[in-house]
Amino acid sequence: MDSLFLEKTKSSPAIAFNSNSGILEMSGESYPENSYEFYKPILLWVSRFCAHFPGEIVFNCRISYLNTGSTKSMMDIFDLFEDRFRRGLQVQVNWYCDSENERAVENAEEFMEDVSFPFVIQPLIAQQ
Amino acid sequence: MTICNSMKKFDLYDLKQTVNQRGVLISFAGPFTHGIIEELGQAVTRYLEAQALTKASLMDVFSVFIEQAQNVRNYAAKRGDDSNSELDFNSGIVTIGRSGPHHVVCSGNFLMRCDVEPLTARLNQLHSLGPKELKTLYKQQLREQRNPGEGGGLGLIDMSRKSVLPLEYEVRELDQNYCFFSLCATV
Repeated sequence: MDSLFLEKTKSSPAIAFNSNSGILEMSGESYPENSYEFYKPILLWVSRFCAHFPGEIVFNCRISYLNTGSTKSMMDIFDLFEDRFRRGLQVQVNWYCDSENERAVENAEEFMEDVSFPFVIQPLIAQQ
Repeated sequence: MTICNSMKKFDLYDLKQTVNQRGVLISFAGPFTHGIIEELGQAVTRYLEAQALTKASLMDVFSVFIEQAQNVRNYAAKRGDDSNSELDFNSGIVTIGRSGPHHVVCSGNFLMRCDVEPLTARLNQLHSLGPKELKTLYKQQLREQRNPGEGGGLGLIDMSRKSVLPLEYEVRELDQNYCFFSLCATV
């Protein structure tokens, strides 16, 4: 299975999903014109990958803003991870956010409430 | 282009005064393309960063602004094609103003009359809900199947959760077919 790479735009995140290592990276902001269309191929990739990859999947997410449509799609990704986890396969989410931004932390905690796989809120190290 | 005799046609003082009197700091009126929303998003972020705002407040103002702008854009995309109107549904207005310690984020756009009732009913329903109920409804709606291109319902709940006052709205009836709808969140 091929890896999935997408370039970052002003309103959509960079995607680097490595099918060899199982490390899936996402960073930037997410408020694309049509979040459903934007996330459709991403969800399809994750769904296939979750089904066949035997090792641990690590999803490193550094998204500073998600609009509501993107939040819904993120939940869909986590549902796929949840299915995988319940089948006894490994998956971990590292959700990076600015610990000084209580809203960003709250948003992360709301995702965490709805999943049972390892979901770790990591402090974002300032990078320029 | 002909040169106009009366300079008053270009005198924006009254418009600027109205904007000032309402406490508006940033406004955009015109067509909402996705590219414009992106540019505005960046401009709003830079503007807010220059204010002494907490990171959480900045995020709230930005997210309400984006949800409103995208709601106007999505409505136009939905209605633009199936209307014979000369009204441009894509043409709207968004403003960000200050009210005491809060920011007031508003949007205004044209609606077909038949779309007003479901929207105001939804907003009135949201008015009656407290923070916990809004959270429950938000999470419920996150899990619901969606039709491509639709998402306004979730956006309204999200704005309601961020707004310190219930979302305010005004409907101005223009004729038998169209209204102008204004929506306001205080964050």
